[in-house]
Amino acid sequence: MPDAQRLATILKAENISLTLGGNPILKDINVEIRDVARPNQTTGQIVGFLGPSGIGKTKFFEILAGLIKPTTGQVTLGNPLRPVETGMVGVVQQNYPLFMHRTVKSNLLVAAKKLYPRESEAMERMRYMLDRFGLTDKQELYPAQLSGGQKQRIAIAQQLLSSENFLLLDEPFSGLDVNMVDEVSEMICEIAHLHEINTIIIVSHDIVATTAIADTLWLMGRDRDTNDKPIPGARIKHSYDLIEMGLYGHKDILESSSFRELVKQIRGLFHTL
Amino acid sequence: MNNYMDVLKPNGRPTRSTFLIMVVVQVCLAVLLWFLSNSPLLPTPIEIMSALKRLIVSEDLLPELWTSMALSLESMGIAILISLLIAYATVVPFFRPLAFLVSKFRFLTLVGLSFVFTLMTHSGHTLKVSLLVFGITVFLVTNLVAVVQSVTRNELNHARTLRMPEWQVVWEVIILGKFDIVFELIRQNFAISWMMLTLVEGISRSEGGIGTMLLNQNKHFHLDAVFAIQIVILLVGIGVDQFIGFLKNLFCPYATLSLDQR
Repeated sequence: MPDAQRLATILKAENISLTLGGNPILKDINVEIRDVARPNQTTGQIVGFLGPSGIGKTKFFEILAGLIKPTTGQVTLGNPLRPVETGMVGVVQQNYPLFMHRTVKSNLLVAAKKLYPRESEAMERMRYMLDRFGLTDKQELYPAQLSGGQKQRIAIAQQLLSSENFLLLDEPFSGLDVNMVDEVSEMICEIAHLHEINTIIIVSHDIVATTAIADTLWLMGRDRDTNDKPIPGARIKHSYDLIEMGLYGHKDILESSSFRELVKQIRGLFHTL
Repeated sequence: MNNYMDVLKPNGRPTRSTFLIMVVVQVCLAVLLWFLSNSPLLPTPIEIMSALKRLIVSEDLLPELWTSMALSLESMGIAILISLLIAYATVVPFFRPLAFLVSKFRFLTLVGLSFVFTLMTHSGHTLKVSLLVFGITVFLVTNLVAVVQSVTRNELNHARTLRMPEWQVVWEVIILGKFDIVFELIRQNFAISWMMLTLVEGISRSEGGIGTMLLNQNKHFHLDAVFAIQIVILLVGIGVDQFIGFLKNLFCPYATLSLDQR
C-alpha cells in the first residue's frame, strides 16, 4: 500500500509470561501494534495471529483481552497507552456466543448500555449497528433462529458496542466456504477501517485468508532443544510487517507471486513452530 | 405407504398425520385389550367409571384432590425457593459444601425422617409440608447445582468482555441464561413430588387428601376405586406437567427454537 506508514504504538505487550500449574505456557512475549496511517483515509489495523493448535494462542488472547493476568509483564493499549482491563477489548469466540434468552435487539442493547448509559443513545447505537450489519429485519429474532453467519455478525456488533476499538476474533474463517470467507474478510476490513484506532487481531489457521487482509502477522511457536524437542513456553517467533513487504492493501493480492511465496514460507515454518 | 413404514424405522420421520393415526390406533388397541381382559386384578373401564362417580358424589374426591394439590403446590413453592437459593449460592465457593451436603441427603428415606420431623413440627400439615419440601429440595438442588456448574468459562468470559461486573455475569449467564432449564427441572421434580405425595399423606392422615383416600381404598381392597384414584392422580399430574410446560414456553419462548430440528 503506497503512502501507508506506522505512527504511534496503540497496543503493547511487554515481557508476557504465563505459568499454569508449574508449566510454562507463554514465555517473554514482546509485541506491539502501531497505528497505520494513510493520507486522507481512515485506516485501522488488522493483525493475523497464527500458530499450531495447543500452542497457547487462546491464553495470549485472554491476556490481551484482560480476562486473565499474566504471571509477568503487562498489556497496555489505547492512545495514550493504559493497562488493559476486561471489557476494553472485544472478543468474538469461535462459536459466536450470544445471550440465547435475548432477542438480537436486546443482545445489542445490553452491550450498548455499558458505554452509553443514556437509553436514547444506547438505542441509537444499537440501531446503527443493526443497519450497519444488515440485520434490521432480524432484530426481533432470537439467536437460535439465525444462521451461523448472522450470529457471527451479531456477536461482532455486540462486542463493537461495548469495547474500545480493539477486537479479537477467534477463527472467524472456520468452517466457511470460499464465498463466505471473502464476505467475512470484507466485513473485517470494513470494521477495521471505520476508525483510525480500530484494531482487529485474528487468531486463525487459515493462513491465506488471514495474510490477505492483515497488515501484520505474528507466528507463535516454541523453541527447540538440541534433540529438536519443543521447549515449554511459547513466544512470538516470527513477525511480519506486510506494509513494509508491500503485501498490504492490494486488490489482487492473492494473485501476487510474492504473496504466494510468503504463504508457502509460513506453511514451511509451521512445522518448526 | 412409505411414510407409514417410517413409524417402524430407527430415527424415522413420519408426517404429523401418520404419527397421529399411529397414536389413535395404539390407544384404541390398549382400550380394547382392557375391555377384553378378564383379570380379577384389572377392573373394567365401566367399573372404574362407576367407582369414580361414587368417589366424587359420596366420598368428596374433589375436595380431597384440592387438599393434596394445595399441599403439593405449597411444598413445591417453598422447595423451589430454597433450592434456587442454595444452587445459585454455589457461584460463591464458600457455599459449595452446603449444596454438596444437601444433595447427598437424597439418599435418606422419608419414612426414616418422619419421626424427627414429627418431633420438630406441631401439626400434621406442617409435618407433611416439611417432609415434601425436604424430599423435593434434595433432588432439585442436585439438578440445579449441575446446571450452575455446567456453565462454561467461555460463556462467563463472553459476559465479562461486555463489561459486566461479576454479579451481573451471574445474573445474565447463570440465572437468566439457564432459566429455561430451571423450568424443565421444576417440571421433572413436580413429578417426583406428586409421586411422594401419597407416601407423605400416608404418614400423616389428619388432613385427608387424595393419598389418604387411596390408602383407605387399598385397605378395603376396593380395586375399582384404587384404579379410579390412580387415574385421577395420573391425569392431574399430566395436566400440571403440561401447565408448567406452557409457562416455560410463555416465559422462555427461545427454549424451543432451532434452525435444525430433528
